[in-house]
This record gives sequence, structure tokens and C-alpha cells, in this order.
Amino acid sequence: MAAAERHVPATPPAPVAIAVESVSKAFGAVQALVDVDVRVRAGEFLSLIGPSGCGKTTLLKIVAGLVPADRGRVSVGERIVWGPGPECSVVFQDFALLPWGTVQRNVEFGLLLRGVEAGERAERARRAIAKVGLAGFEAAYPAQLSGGMQQRVGLARALAVSPRVLLMDEPFASIDEQTRRVFQDDLLRLWSEERKTVVLVTHSMEEAIYLSDRVVVLSPRPGRVHQVLDVPLPRPREAGDVRGTAEFARLVDGLWKILRKLQ
Amino acid sequence: MTLAALVGLAIGWELLGRLDVSLFVPPLSRVAATWWQLLGDGTLARAAASSLASLAKGFVPAAALGVAVGLAMGRFAVVRHLLDGWVNALMSAPLSALVPVLIALFGVRDTVVAATVFMFSFFVVVVNTQTGVRATDRSLVDMARAFGAGEVALFGRIYLPAALPAVMLGLRLGAVQAVKGMVVGEMLISLVGLGERLIYYGNTFLITELYAVILSVLALALLIAQAAQAADRALVRWK
Repeated sequence: MAAAERHVPATPPAPVAIAVESVSKAFGAVQALVDVDVRVRAGEFLSLIGPSGCGKTTLLKIVAGLVPADRGRVSVGERIVWGPGPECSVVFQDFALLPWGTVQRNVEFGLLLRGVEAGERAERARRAIAKVGLAGFEAAYPAQLSGGMQQRVGLARALAVSPRVLLMDEPFASIDEQTRRVFQDDLLRLWSEERKTVVLVTHSMEEAIYLSDRVVVLSPRPGRVHQVLDVPLPRPREAGDVRGTAEFARLVDGLWKILRKLQ
Repeated sequence: MTLAALVGLAIGWELLGRLDVSLFVPPLSRVAATWWQLLGDGTLARAAASSLASLAKGFVPAAALGVAVGLAMGRFAVVRHLLDGWVNALMSAPLSALVPVLIALFGVRDTVVAATVFMFSFFVVVVNTQTGVRATDRSLVDMARAFGAGEVALFGRIYLPAALPAVMLGLRLGAVQAVKGMVVGEMLISLVGLGERLIYYGNTFLITELYAVILSVLALALLIAQAAQAADRALVRWK
């Protein structure tokens, strides 16, 4: 890792947004993560992938400050992570929407917890709702929305607090394929407009390649960084037909060859 | 459907009463007339006022304290381990067996009726609240914490609303239990209110009056259950 960084060419590297240094974590007798080192650059889209139970979600939760690491150090920007901080937003696999709140109230929720006053809260939530394409659904309850729309609410809630870092835990896992592809393109569009640092946990190789600048492959339990893969596909990817190119197929296949050996 | 069943029951009762099968089955029309008379001379109102006062004095603290204890037990394992055994034992114990203890503690006044109401309704509120809190979606808690929620915000914004349907169910069941506790207390211990009337008319073989009071108690129980259900629907609209 350190050696690789010394070979970075003349253009100065983007500042490090997230640094995970020698992080280990055990749950009782089960070792989940061992000596994990990951550096995420500011504005980078990075995916974590690996076999089931490799600890990728645990790693995300450690970065989010939701789970404490046993050893090692995590910093987000200048802040050493001891708990949840204001520069991160999390998008959850099961959406984690308040079933008793409308879309508007759900998107306002993060702002409410961070002490933003009511008028500004409503305004920022409305803007975030429009940004994810849900304008007009402010008064709907989550149960009235499809899975894809519910996750858009989850994304709007995450964006409403204007985080620098977006942590996404298998956000598309419980969404059907067609909806997922449209949603992925919308996410890329939002990301290129707002230039947030994104860490995405996924088990889909196509998704990892399609979205990311780099893919971190974790080994099975206990999770370690097995390999870091660059994805040199040109951007913007959401406009063209990147999935149909030979280069895309080659990258997915390369990722599959790595993962297959890890099973 | 329910209405048809009630009307059928009423007609059957009336016919059976007219046939004069037993002293213990007066026709419904006569019971109704007696009920009207007891209402007119203030007997029912006086008895019901005393009963309702005991009901409120017992159930309001049982509900408030029950929700508080249930929340604490649901949220904190220490509290749960400390109280679980007691709650389970007292919930399944035949509460009438505790009546002598209650007499010793509160004497033979209406306070003891309120205490009986409390004992009958408290535990079901505790258990339901606790269940609701423990069933709270884990990822909602993570979500709130990720946005910086502390313990107070978690309680007010996640655990309490998530547990609300279960809390309301507990309060509904608790209200019904409270009416039972009220009647038991008034009949077995204190001889006040509607329970006293039941004992009095029963002992003096005023069967028509007895039925009039029984029907009043049933109506009261039904009314309270309906009110609780309406409150439930108003509060838990999102279900």
C-alpha cells in the first residue's frame, strides 16, 4: 500500500477523505476484520466487495462510527472516528425509513436530529426530495412506495444533511434489476454534480465496476484487503453504453477471477 | 353481524323471560324498565361515579408507570433482568389471592379498589410496552445514531413511536383488565360503587335490579374498550 503510493505520478493526489489504518474487529470469538488498511480519496467512488460474511458491512459501520474498532484507527477528514460524525451520511440496505413518517418527515429526520430549525429543514428536505426525483411524493408514507422509491427517500435523507461522505450499505440489494439500473445512473449523475466521496458495499461485481473508481476486494472471514482494483472506464458512464463495451466485460471478468479464488 | 347477534340474544332473552322459566330469568323488557328507574333515582349514577373514580385512580397511574417501566425494561437489559421474574410471576398469579395483602396495605376504603385496578392492569401494560420496544427495527436505531441521535432522541424519536402500536394494545388490554379489577375490588373488598350494588341485589334476590347493574357494567366495559380502540386508531394511523 505504502509502496504503491510512492509511485503515484506527478499530479498531486487528491487529499485523503477516509483513512482506515490497521483496523481489526472481532465479534466474540469470530474474527471479522484483521489489519484492514484502506484510503479513500476525496471525491472518489470506492466499492467494497467480497464473499458473504467477509466483514464489508462491518467495515462500513466502523467508518460510520456505528461500530467501534477493536484495534487500529479510522479518520474521516481531520476527525478521528469515535462515533458518528457530521460529515458522513449512511444509506441502509433495508432503507431504514420511519414507517410512521411521511416522505417529507423522513427526509427531514437527519436535519431534525442535527438541530436544523423547522423552516430550513422543510426547505432542504424538499430540495433533496426533488433531487432524487420524488417531487410530488412528500406526503406519501413509505408503505405506499415501491422498494426503489423507498431507497430514493433513504438517499434524499442522506443528501439532505449535505455530507461530504456518503456511506452506502448494499443500497440496491433489495431493488429489482430494471429499477436498479435507472437508480445507479441517477446516483452517478448526482455524484458527478456534488462530488461527494462515496463508499459502497455491494455483492454485485457489475455494480462495483460500473459505479466505482476503485474496487477493494476483501478476503473471506476474517476480512483482510485482498486486492485493490482500478476501474479505468471513462466517465460519465451513465450517458453511454458502458455495460456493452468489451472493456467493461473484461473488468467484470477480472473481478470474478479474483473473487472465484476467494470462495 | 354483531348487531344481528345482539338483537337475536335480546329476543331470545325476552321470550325465555316471558315463559317464566325461573325467577333468575326476568324478561329483558322488565330489566330495561328497572334500569331506567335506577338511572332515574340516581342509584346507578352514584354507584358508577364511585366506580369510575376508582377506575381512574387505579388505571391512570398503572398506564403511566406501566409504559415507563416497560420502556426501561425494553431498553436496558439490567432493568429487564432485575424485574422480569417479578413481572412474570405477578402477571400469571391469581390476583384475587393478593386481596388480603391489599386490605392490609390500604384498609377497606375506595383506595383499595384503586389498588386492585392498578394490580389488574399494570402488568399487561408493562409486558406489551416492553415487547414493542424490543421489537424495534435495529436499522432504525443505527440510522438515528448515524445522524447523531443520543439516548434521549433515540427514546423519543425511535423507540417510543416504534413501540406505540404495542403500547396502545397494552393500554387497551389494560383498560379491560382495569374494569375487571374494579368489579373484583368492589365486590370482594370494599363494597362500594357498582360492585356493592351487585352484591346487595344478589343477596336480596332483587334479580331484575341485579341484571340492570350487570348490563351497566358490561356497557361500561364495552365503552372503555371502544374508547381505547378509537385512541389507538387516532394515534397509529400509519399502520
